This record gives sequence, structure tokens and C-alpha cells, in this order.
Amino acid sequence: MSEFLRAYLTVAVFAAFAGLLIAGVLGLSRLIRPNRPTPQKLLTYESGVDPVGSGFSQSQVRYYIFALLFVMFDVEAVFIFPWAMRLELYQVFGLVEMAVFIVILVFGLVYAWRKGVLRWV
Amino acid sequence: MLSFVQPNIDYHALAPELVLVGALLLILLVDLVFEDRARWATSSLAGLGLLAALIPIITLAVNGHDRSMFGGAYVVDNFALVMKAVFLLAGYVVVLMSTDYIGEGDYYEGEYYFMLLSSLFGMLIMASARDLISIFIALETLSIPAYLLAGWRKRDLKGNEASLKYYLLGVFASAVMLYGMSLIFGVTGSTVLTDIRDGLGSGESVPIITVGILFVVIGFAFKVSAVPFHTWAPDTYEGAPTPITAFLSVASKAAGFVALLELVFIAFEGHEEVWKPLFWILAAITMTVGNLIALRQTNVVRMLAYSSVAQAGYMLAPFAIAGDLSGGNVGAIKAVVTYLIIYAAMNLGAFAVVIAVARKTRSAELSSFGGLFEYAPGLAVLLAAFVFALAGIPPLGGWYAKLAILNVLIDASTPWATVLAVVVAVNSVIALFYYASVAREMLMRPVADGDRTPVTIPASLAASIGLCAVSTIAIGVAPNLIARFSDLAHFVS
Repeated sequence: MSEFLRAYLTVAVFAAFAGLLIAGVLGLSRLIRPNRPTPQKLLTYESGVDPVGSGFSQSQVRYYIFALLFVMFDVEAVFIFPWAMRLELYQVFGLVEMAVFIVILVFGLVYAWRKGVLRWV
Repeated sequence: MLSFVQPNIDYHALAPELVLVGALLLILLVDLVFEDRARWATSSLAGLGLLAALIPIITLAVNGHDRSMFGGAYVVDNFALVMKAVFLLAGYVVVLMSTDYIGEGDYYEGEYYFMLLSSLFGMLIMASARDLISIFIALETLSIPAYLLAGWRKRDLKGNEASLKYYLLGVFASAVMLYGMSLIFGVTGSTVLTDIRDGLGSGESVPIITVGILFVVIGFAFKVSAVPFHTWAPDTYEGAPTPITAFLSVASKAAGFVALLELVFIAFEGHEEVWKPLFWILAAITMTVGNLIALRQTNVVRMLAYSSVAQAGYMLAPFAIAGDLSGGNVGAIKAVVTYLIIYAAMNLGAFAVVIAVARKTRSAELSSFGGLFEYAPGLAVLLAAFVFALAGIPPLGGWYAKLAILNVLIDASTPWATVLAVVVAVNSVIALFYYASVAREMLMRPVADGDRTPVTIPASLAASIGLCAVSTIAIGVAPNLIARFSDLAHFVS
């Protein structure tokens, strides 16, 4: 068991270091920063528009669909651009693989279209 | 000018995955094109797709030789084939259980089977992954659909709780595991498991790998719901649709064990001093805590959830004695695989009967099982058989699984292994109390609300119960059946 404990000394050191790092960074900044609290500084946006109403407000949830679709095409682009730059290098193999990739992603778009999420209501 | 070497893709080795992807795209398409007219067909398509994916597994097994692709990152060996077959069959039974449950509820049928097959696709990759990145991708592919499936009853608050808890803790575990993987990659400079084994060497080396191994193991301890990382399991199991609970407690857990086997017995093989005591502690507290909390449950699904936590503890035990066996680690891997296969049959069966009973009683409380024997003797006997199999009573399948675990623990013949064997034995006795309480409720208590109308069981649900019952009893009577498969299950590496 002593071998085990010795191996796990690293874990203890690691945990202690993680704790010390947080305490050290926060403590250091507390030591060297000036502290002059004013009511202005407690506002949500210190130099921005005065907040109106409570912190709880409803936001338009349907944007998430567009966010999801954006991610889908974004990921597609990440793979397609490097492939397009070296199109002649990958030849038929690359063309077929990319076609398979795009067809599978198009299923996602067809799904969104059939479920009517592309329509703004 | 860069040169490009076309990777050597063995389509035969990838055929099970390709068939599964084809099936799940077909389901999505059928759901989209025919909408309400053909939604009922999606469950049949899912079942057929899973069975079709078994065909290439059989041809690969007949063909026999091991295949390796992408620089050793994707290996199709006997271990991978056995585990893929287990995943596909477990998935098939879950589809059978789901057909009427999902069809009758206010659920999205097409998407449900699409998600289920996507999750199974991740599990198939997991069985072949021999590389940190492949393992991570497989884990996310199987987890993300599972988070959604857990919350499939979206108008039910417990369903939302199930999904949210599972998602948050799952993502947290992924982050911890990724950090561990990055440390290991930093030390060895490779993501391929065999290269990591060579890079880590054995015995004394860079101290930071202890942290890396610990974090990776903790990440998967969440997946297999080992104590103290089990807190999500009971709430998720209770809130999820019951077929999904069965799926999570069997297939998803098995996938976690597959990843642990790959990582521990290939990549971290030379560093037993780090993970052996860790697994000893995890195994001992997992089975003890799981069983003790299960004793107090009054809801059958929650009780089965804690019982599955405890079962994970038994399966963790062989990890704790690796290296002490005369025949190498193969014995430990075999014991875990044997347990996984038998556990899949017993646990799926128990959940299938709970689904069947809940069709009439609309409840999973233990009291609602009162007097089940009077109006549904067949179901009562089968549920008793499954819970006694889980308890490990011969001649039902579970005894052989327990025997396999105890055998390797005794074979190791070290004091620590013997202590663990005693812990397993004591826990089996504790577990018998709550398993027997289900049987007592069904056989000896009066019918809860006096309603003795028989339970109607749709054909597909009956088929799933039948499949599980036949395999549980067959394994118990002739354990050689299963021993043949688990004997195959070792890594080529």
C-alpha cells in the first residue's frame, strides 16, 4: 500500500497546488488593488444603460434553432474548406468521402425544413 | 507539395457500423417523408436494422482474423466482436420493449429510434476504439443521444430532472476525463493505446501520470455509476422512460466497462500500482453502498437502479486483482465480459416485466406489485426468476456470473483479493434481502387495489421478456454457452 500512497502523493500535491493557485491569485489581487466601493460599481453594467426591471426576463427562445443550424453548417465549413484547398490531391477518394459527409449533414437540414423550424412565426 | 496517402479502409470490418448508420438514416427519412402514416414502421425498421448489423459481425467472426485500421486506432478483434454483438442484441431487446411504450405515449417515435440507434452506434465504435480520441468520440456519440432519451417524457418534471442531472454530471465527467487524457498525451506524446503503454513504461516514471490515470478512471466511473460517482443514477433511472432506464443500466454501463477494460488493460497496463488499489476501493464501496441503499427503496425502478449500482461494483472487482493472476490479465477481462453478458440478459428481463406490470398498474411502487401472482402468475414467476438471477441463485444465469468474479478473486490468492472476495460474498447475501422482498410482495401480499383483471402484454414486449428469460435460464443451466464467447474476448494488442 505504501507504493500506492506514494503514487497518490502526486494527486495530493496536485490538489493542494490547485487550491493554492486560486487562493494565491485572488489573495494577491486583493492585496494590491485599491478598494473604493461606490453604488455605481454594483450596477449590472457599470458604465452602460441603467438596468430596468428585475433580473428575470424572458428572451426569444426560438433563436436556439438558428444557433443549432449555424453550428451544423459551421462544422461543415470547417471540414469543407481544407478539403477544397487540396481537392486535386485527394482525388476521387476525397470527393466520395466529402459527398457522404455532406449528404449526412443534409439530412439534418431536411429534418429542420420538414419540421417547419425554418419558418419564422 | 504535400502527398496524400489514401487510408486503407476495410469495409468489411466497418460493415456493422455502416449498416447501423444506414438504418438510422432510413428511419429519419421514413419519419420525415411519411409522417403519421408510417410512424409505426420506425420501430420495426430499428429492430431490423439492428439484426442486419449482426450479419457482418457473424461473417467477421467466421472469417476470424483481427483487423486494424487508422494506425491502430480502430481494431476489430474478438473482444470487439463479442461486445458489439452484446450491444446490438441489448439494443434489439430495448427496441422490442419500446415499441408499445413509445407508440402509446405522447412521444416522438421516429426521433426516439433515431436517437437509440445513434447511441448504439457510439457503443459499436467504443468496442473497437483503441485510441484516446476514438474513445472520446465514441463516448460522446453514445452519451449525447442518451441525455435526450432520458428526458423523452418532456412534459414530466421527473423526466426533465432525469435528463438534466444526467447531462450535467455526464458533461462534468467528460471534462475531468479529457483533462486526464491530455495529461497522458502530454507525457507519452501519443493517443494510440498501445503506444501509450510503451510510452508510460512500467514502475517509476513521471509522477503526473498518476493524476492522468486517476482522472480518466473517474470519468468512466461516472459512466458505470460507481460510488461515489453514482448520484445521478437513481434519479435518472426513475425519471427516464422505463425502456431507456433498461438501456442506460445495461448498454450504456457496458460501454463504460468496455472503455475501462481497453484503457486499463492496454494503455495503463504497466502501472498497476496506481489503479489496482483505486479499483479495489471503488469496487468495495460501490457494491456495499449500492446494496445498502437498495434495501430501503419502495419503488421497484429505484431499487433496480441501486441494484445496478451494486452490480457495477461486482464488475469492478476483477480490475482490482489484475497482475496477480497466473495466466495474466486475460482472466480478469474474461470475468468482466462474462458478467456483462449475463447481467444484460437478467437486468433487461427484470425491466421488461416491470414495464409489462406498469401497463396495468401505472406505477412502479413496490406495493403495486402486491398479489401479482394471483392475476398474472406468469409475469410474477418471471420477475421472481430475474431478480433471483440478479441475486445469483442457481440454476438461473446470475450464479455463473458471480462464480466467474469470485473465481478470479480466489485465483489471485493475495490477501487483498481474498478480502474483496469476502466483500462480494457478504454483499450477495445483503442483496438477497431486497431481491426477495419483490418476490414476497408478489406471492404473499394481497392485491393492492383489489383489481384482478389480467395484464395484457403486447407481442413485442412478450418477445423481449421471452428472449431474456430463455437466455437467463439457458446460461444458468449450461454456462458453457457463455464461456465460449467470453473466452474469445481478449485483446490482440
